[in-house]
Amino acid sequence: MIYYILGGLLIGIILGIYCPFALPLEYAKLLSVAVLAGLDAVLGGIRAAMEGKYDTEVFISGFFVNGILSAILCYAGNMLGIDLYMVAVLIFGMRIFQNLAIIRRLYIGK
Amino acid sequence: MKEPVKLDLKARIVVGLVFVVLGFMLSVQFKTTERQKSIHFERVEDLSERLKSVEAEKEQLEDELDNLRKNGSGALVDSEMERLMLLAGTTEVRGKGVEIVLDDSSIPSRAGENPNLYIIHDEDLLRVLNELRAAGAEAIALNDQRIVAMSEVRCAGPTVSVNNVRSAPPYTIKAIGDPKNLNSALRLRGGVVETFEFWGIHVKINTSDDVHIPAFKGMRAFEYAQPVEKEEGKK
Repeated sequence: MIYYILGGLLIGIILGIYCPFALPLEYAKLLSVAVLAGLDAVLGGIRAAMEGKYDTEVFISGFFVNGILSAILCYAGNMLGIDLYMVAVLIFGMRIFQNLAIIRRLYIGK
Repeated sequence: MKEPVKLDLKARIVVGLVFVVLGFMLSVQFKTTERQKSIHFERVEDLSERLKSVEAEKEQLEDELDNLRKNGSGALVDSEMERLMLLAGTTEVRGKGVEIVLDDSSIPSRAGENPNLYIIHDEDLLRVLNELRAAGAEAIALNDQRIVAMSEVRCAGPTVSVNNVRSAPPYTIKAIGDPKNLNSALRLRGGVVETFEFWGIHVKINTSDDVHIPAFKGMRAFEYAQPVEKEEGKK
């Protein structure tokens, strides 16, 4: 399993580096929020796996829906003059740390 | 810790694809951030380059200006310019001269007599100015208004207007010229000062070695007068 994960990550990074497509600067924030959402989904998935509740469909839908939704929300926030970007970063950051804490405890086994 | 969940091949591939997407997003984001940084650097470099070129241009223009000043103003032009500026009264001047202070009379006017006789009028001032000019005054100022060729001295209510600036008594007239000549011209028997004294108008004349006369401050645009070309003027 770990090989699939690392392999996929590596392929993705290489693709991204050699991709001629560059993101316009005004969309960099949106992508950063989407990345954060993706990381949150991954950590959530790991946690679920360690708790034995893992479900591929939940994981994949969480990954894409959260990422796209957060990007759309930030875009709308930009248009409305509300910094939803901040909110997304805060929430996803908090969840990432929470998930990390739970994973740590599960790993230690207490 | 429970045993990790076992996934079938399809699920593994799907999860792998999800990570492909994540990796892709990460590296694109990284690239974008890098580009942003490099754009900042480029901007700094660009701006400093422009600063350099503008400074070089400025130096070049200053040199050019110096050159033009050197070439454009010989000693002859300079002295002519100075003479004209003195004549026009556009420079501050100093030199030997007199300072005259005039103030309204303190004698109370008697009943039935015209009180106007006891206060200073534009005509009185003009007489003083005229006398000074006749005595060879080179520069004159009334209450620090330089008297030039087009200056008016005119009553404006209780004040006197010179170069469109009003001032009230006491009037201080400064004149540059031979102090002795100027003084004696004013104190001629039957002259201006004697007349003033008759009506009780205070006159104080001080001769001084260093009289300061300010420059003409107004700007005069010539609306109607046009210089005539020499050929036309000869006829």
